[in-house]
Amino acid sequence: MNPKISLMMIFCSFVGGGVFYTSTFLLPEGKQAIITQFGRPVGSPLAQSGLYFKLPWIQKVCYLDKRILSWDGHPNQIPTKDKKYIIVDTTARWRIIDALKFIQTVQNERGAQARLGGILDAITRDTISNHNLVEAVRNTNDILELSEKLKAQQREKEIIEEEITGEIEKITKGREMLSSMIAKLADQELRSFGISIIDVQLRRIEYESSVEQKVYERMISERKKIAEKIRSIGKGEQARIQGRMSRDLQKIESEAYRKAQEYKGKAEAEVASIYKKALVQGSKFYEFIRTLEAYEKSFQEGSQVILSTDSDFFKLFHSGM
Amino acid sequence: MSRSSGPNSSFNGIFPEEIQGVFNQLRNNLRFLLLGVGVFVIAWGGFSGFYTVEPTEEAVVTRFGKYIGTYAPGLHFKLPFGVDRVKKVKAKLVLQEEFGFRTQERFRKNNARVLKESRMLTGDLNVAIVEWIIQYQIADPRKYLFNTQNPIRNIRDISEAIMRRVVGDRSVNDALTTGRVEIASEAEKLTQEVFDRYDLGVRIVTVKLQNVNPPELVKASFNEVNAAKQEQEQAINMAEKEYNKVIPEARGKAQRRISEAEGYAIAVINQAKGNAQKFLALLKEHQVNPLVTQKRLYIETMEKIFSRLKVIVVDPSVKGIMPLFTNPENKIEKKI
Repeated sequence: MNPKISLMMIFCSFVGGGVFYTSTFLLPEGKQAIITQFGRPVGSPLAQSGLYFKLPWIQKVCYLDKRILSWDGHPNQIPTKDKKYIIVDTTARWRIIDALKFIQTVQNERGAQARLGGILDAITRDTISNHNLVEAVRNTNDILELSEKLKAQQREKEIIEEEITGEIEKITKGREMLSSMIAKLADQELRSFGISIIDVQLRRIEYESSVEQKVYERMISERKKIAEKIRSIGKGEQARIQGRMSRDLQKIESEAYRKAQEYKGKAEAEVASIYKKALVQGSKFYEFIRTLEAYEKSFQEGSQVILSTDSDFFKLFHSGM
Repeated sequence: MSRSSGPNSSFNGIFPEEIQGVFNQLRNNLRFLLLGVGVFVIAWGGFSGFYTVEPTEEAVVTRFGKYIGTYAPGLHFKLPFGVDRVKKVKAKLVLQEEFGFRTQERFRKNNARVLKESRMLTGDLNVAIVEWIIQYQIADPRKYLFNTQNPIRNIRDISEAIMRRVVGDRSVNDALTTGRVEIASEAEKLTQEVFDRYDLGVRIVTVKLQNVNPPELVKASFNEVNAAKQEQEQAINMAEKEYNKVIPEARGKAQRRISEAEGYAIAVINQAKGNAQKFLALLKEHQVNPLVTQKRLYIETMEKIFSRLKVIVVDPSVKGIMPLFTNPENKIEKKI
């Protein structure tokens, strides 16, 4: 074999391999790509994964994520409409929907994150500061119903255990709606960057640290108030039971007295009528007998008496006749 | 290769000779070179032509970057040389994310970041510390890998946001006591809904609340409320105890009083009846012979009386002996 030809073959295979390698590329699942020629995008973005061809060397492939991406915001201190200072921490999910616009306007993911940060922070700030704190905390008015239900229950039971304290404001929008409002506004603004916002979540809302201290103080005083109330209700209930006891006691005793007196009175009335019925038949004789009985009862065992012999009993004793 | 020529040898004369030498040597070694390359290629192809999937895993296979299937545990073949690529996902394992605490030793030191996860506002604008876990399984490895960039971060973010939303609709009391189970199940439901919206490929096994506490600074006052509840109960119990002690006894006593009165009534009536009977009987006799009966009764009575008395009989002519009887213990009855 001519050595020159062999040399040529090896050279050609290297060159061919290089050309093949630089003219194909893999688009993996979950990615999209755009082909650029001297930095200028060529053709429409590629979204379907698989094996692709391009011009060697002069065309470059720029990969972008096709998946849902996360954006993590910095906690922001925002005053609400009702002048409460809170720290709001948001996160968002977004995706690149227009790869071409995306590379032209923000170049890469890092650039996008910066844009997202600016826009989302501003919109979040506007939205939160246009609403009262409760709108960002609560989602529904369930708590109001719950509190009503609780109160009704407590009225039934007569014993109040614990209650929801403080004024509970009605909400008109709620957390979920605020976050979707933010998402919608952000989405509109970010469309021009080829970005779509899927959702925004108010991940954390907390009191600013100086406010937090005051909130804790309020919570403490509220709890103390509730504790006092519970104690006083206990004492009230105790007094109520004691009162009931005293009432019942007097009722029972007086009723017993009344009944006893009634029985006794009736009995005595009957006794009187029995005697009356018997005695009308011989009242003089009754007087006599009753007197004798009285004598008999009047003298106790061993009593001393001095009798004169001229008494009726000793008539015989004295005269013998 | 000839290295005999010095650095100052003629450039023109040596060059073809040099190449010729290299080429000859190359041709001699080409056979071995090709053999080596061949063995290498076959070995590479052989080793990259199969893979095993562990029992807890599932394998997601892509061909030229394109998804072709998800495979169960076992030994599988694939196209070699990186044409088919395998990503293994722990699809069977129940995975867990923790919020507000970490069970793993190296995260034990509760740093501020971890604590922040659990601090949240309740519907009555109080603060509660809620710790919870979420357990999940990768239900669809393909979705898990290719639909979101960072599934775990999404899981954490969503779970935090949802938990706050659920707790935000409750009073602090509810969250601390009776609402726990409901909160967990509601959070589970809502979180799964969001996961499905993202097509995350994750199925929640459970969401469980761990410790739910008031903030450290406020804890004492919450305990005070509990203590007050105990006191309340105790006060009521004491009053009831007293009531139960007194009232049944009083009822019994009242009953006794009534019964006694009834007894008295029966007794006096019977006595009266007896006396009346006796009187009527005597009267009857008296009517037959008034004087005799009267006398007899008189004498009988006197007999009864005198038999138990100390009788001193004094003749009417010795009146004025009274000072003799000065014994104060004895009752002195006057003359009949």
